[in-house]
Amino acid sequence: MLTNNAAGRGTSRLSPILTLLLPWALVYAVFFLFPFVFSFVLAFLKYNPLNVQNTTWVGLENFARLFQDERFVRALRNTLVFVVGTVPMTTAAALGLAVLLRGRVPGKSILKAGFFLPSIISMVVISLVFKLFYSPSGGLNNALSLIGLGGHGWLTDPATALGAIMIMDVWAAVGYYAIIFDAAFAGIPREMYEAAHLEGAGFKDTLRYVTIPMLRPVIAFVLVINTIRSFQIFIEVFVMTQGGPLGATDTLVLYLYEAAFRGLDYGYASAIAYVVFILSGIFSILVVRRFRPQFGSGGVA
Amino acid sequence: MNCTLVLSVLALTAVLLAAGGCGSSEERDGTIRFWQFWDISVVEPIVREFEAQNPGIKVEVEQLTWQSGLEKIQAAIASGTQPDLCELGSTWVPRFSYEGVLEDVTAVHSEVADSFLMWDSGLWRGRVYALPWVQGSRVLFYNEDLFVRAGLDPADPPETWDELLAAARKIHALSDDISGFGLNLGERYVLYKKFMAFAWGNGGGILDASGNVVFDSGENLEALEFYQVLSRYSLREKQEVLDHNFKSGLLGMQISGAWNLRNYAEEAPGLNYRVALVPRPSKQAGTHASFAGAEMLVVFANSKNKDDALRLARHLHQYNQAKALCLEVKSVFPAAVGAIDDPAFAGDEKVRVFVEQSLTCQTAPAHPGWIEMEDIINRSIEEVLYGKADPREALSEAADALRVVVKRFE
Amino acid sequence: MKRVLQLALLLIIFAIMAYPLVWMLTISLRTGDGLDFRYYREVWQAGPFDRYFLNSVVVVTIVLVANIIICSMAGYAFARYRIPGGRVLFFLVISMIMLPKQVILVPLYILMQKFGLIDTYAALTLPFAADPFNIFLIRQFLVSIPPDCEEAARLEGAGELTVLFRVVMPMLKPALAVVAIHTSLINWNSFLFPFILTNTTSMRTLPVGLAMLSQGAHSIDWGHLMAGAVIASLPVIVAFLVFQRQIISGLTSGMSK
Repeated sequence: MLTNNAAGRGTSRLSPILTLLLPWALVYAVFFLFPFVFSFVLAFLKYNPLNVQNTTWVGLENFARLFQDERFVRALRNTLVFVVGTVPMTTAAALGLAVLLRGRVPGKSILKAGFFLPSIISMVVISLVFKLFYSPSGGLNNALSLIGLGGHGWLTDPATALGAIMIMDVWAAVGYYAIIFDAAFAGIPREMYEAAHLEGAGFKDTLRYVTIPMLRPVIAFVLVINTIRSFQIFIEVFVMTQGGPLGATDTLVLYLYEAAFRGLDYGYASAIAYVVFILSGIFSILVVRRFRPQFGSGGVA
Repeated sequence: MNCTLVLSVLALTAVLLAAGGCGSSEERDGTIRFWQFWDISVVEPIVREFEAQNPGIKVEVEQLTWQSGLEKIQAAIASGTQPDLCELGSTWVPRFSYEGVLEDVTAVHSEVADSFLMWDSGLWRGRVYALPWVQGSRVLFYNEDLFVRAGLDPADPPETWDELLAAARKIHALSDDISGFGLNLGERYVLYKKFMAFAWGNGGGILDASGNVVFDSGENLEALEFYQVLSRYSLREKQEVLDHNFKSGLLGMQISGAWNLRNYAEEAPGLNYRVALVPRPSKQAGTHASFAGAEMLVVFANSKNKDDALRLARHLHQYNQAKALCLEVKSVFPAAVGAIDDPAFAGDEKVRVFVEQSLTCQTAPAHPGWIEMEDIINRSIEEVLYGKADPREALSEAADALRVVVKRFE
Repeated sequence: MKRVLQLALLLIIFAIMAYPLVWMLTISLRTGDGLDFRYYREVWQAGPFDRYFLNSVVVVTIVLVANIIICSMAGYAFARYRIPGGRVLFFLVISMIMLPKQVILVPLYILMQKFGLIDTYAALTLPFAADPFNIFLIRQFLVSIPPDCEEAARLEGAGELTVLFRVVMPMLKPALAVVAIHTSLINWNSFLFPFILTNTTSMRTLPVGLAMLSQGAHSIDWGHLMAGAVIASLPVIVAFLVFQRQIISGLTSGMSK
């Protein structure tokens, strides 16, 4: 009732629709659609930028090659580990942090500002800082040496490299989502908490039966954007480890980048891009289904 | 009223597109577009001198970055807007030659072959496609104070593998946070440069003169086994960490390049260090081989100003001009012969070692498949150093993989 | 008691999270003997940072204004109108976010070059003038607001665009706040495309300028690297500290639905 009031007039008022959508459509068509279609077609070609005149159609060959490619499988595995490892962790940590921030906490705005800070710094900068931070004489080992540990090369050990980058990513993102959750809390009616309290619900039960259900749409939103961004992880590994050591931090987009710009095989790179695209799409849909089964209602026909 | 709003929206779009009016470049005859990687302020004087000597020719210089310069060059080639003259790292030249995008400069080579080093990367199927510009060898850096503490004589640096190993062991034993040797690990593009120095010194290599893969040779195996033993007394880390530790006086020795001469002077003025040639297998056998990287100048075959571009290239790589650049950036040396006799270079004790080293340097094989080969080689050495593979197996598997790559480009 | 525990926990987490940044600061200031700003001075002098800064400001401003106008229009259309094939179209919009940008790098470059726009402000702004994320945000936000005010305005004879700009936009403030932050941030920190699409020093933006620096004279030195990192982040941090209250409230009210 509320949102589809324009239903009756939607189809007859073409001119305002066109006007409204025109600028976006222009930008989209020219600067996205064309390159997008180009790259879609690229996945079916053998395209070498140094030799464009010899571009040939190879059908599904690029895609077929993918699954027999050891490096692709490894990159796929690492990327999945990364996504599955960081997304829930970041979301849960952000939620936890937001819970901790509830109520009258002295210095709350300073704390919030501090938590938010890492998320506004460029990832290139963060990667550079952590590259040194994780080194044997870097900040992390300095701190660990206070309790007698440390001296480990976190990024040069194949067993710890990916984990180290994952933790860095959580560090960089958690504040941003925590602030979002923190405000979303304000949207939960007091009465619900009072009712729960009256029924004798403790902290954990309140969390489970009041807070989280009320926050579902926000949680869904956070999970989706986080998932999409995680599938595209590139800068961190490019700056810090170039996919090493021993391919422990090799990811799909890093491979895509190298296939294009070092391997000079843009077709293969495009094929990898489409895998990333499809995987992001699948995971996003799964998340949305789970957390917001009623998503999709609204003004769009 | 609807109209005004529509018009203003369209006007906005038009304004955005019109913002494109500022600064678009056009191709003018008599103008050479030159893309290179050095700071513009360093290259400008040399270019202006060329313009003065060649009235009527203008040069537009643009600076690329090592991180994304290559993407840019590729995108430009793909869209047909590549520059006339371009600087390329020597490891990239063979692929470009193979694809036929470079202008043949064999004529220049015939004229001046002996006056320059590092031609190899520009060779392909008997023709020459690039002019060597500047090069940088890698030498052994060592910390004098740590030598003294370990009972070694700083005036007598290790000359053989045994001496190197002994020195590393002694320094490594000094304390927990001190390491004997610095071994690159955990990053991809540097590994082969350091290891191959030893392999080449031992007579090993990657491809032989006929282009056959010889990576699984006995000489390479000896070098790799030695390298493995050396790693026990080494700090195995990325280059930044090795540099940081060396500057902090916590690393005894490492193989690195001339940029450190300036860096160490600025960032660690109190550091007492010296340089020496990379040790050879023994006093009776092998050579003091090392890795040298080169920057080369190439003219693109589709350029409309090929002759002028070539003239500029020859101006740039001439000894005097290259020398001016090198003295300014202090991290590379002219690829032109003559540096060893020039007091500007030979006068400095440390610089002299670099120049001397460059006479026995080798570089990556000039093969269009090198980028892939480099990954294979790096990977195999990494696996050995991480204890995941046996040296003989690793070399053998790598050699097989290399053969597949070589075959693809035949 | 519970409050004390809560605060203590928060402080511990804060300290742990702040540590890497604090460490970064100390490295950038520790120049051998004592602390000073030598690295900062040298980094700043290594390139025309005032020009880079100006370019970044110009680019971000243009992109921001463009996004606010264009995305509001499109988001409004998707929220209020029944568009033929609207669902598919909207999905196409969203799907833009899921494709890794490296793939369209070269096609975009070729396109820009054909238009003669390489090394211009247009190249740095046009491709980013309509971020689908913003359209998504605005549409979602509008969908939860009843169109009563708009109905009223139409009844008084207002045309569609008037309705949009005079009635809807003010209501969109919280969503626009998110749009502003998100868009400014992404474009301020953007490196790859600005680098590829520009050739000359005079058109470079801050991240590109810094990258050029980091591979030049001061490539591997920790001190200079960290000083450069701080310089790159400073404008964003300052802006954040100044507009903190607005940012956080804008961010959150847009999200709490």
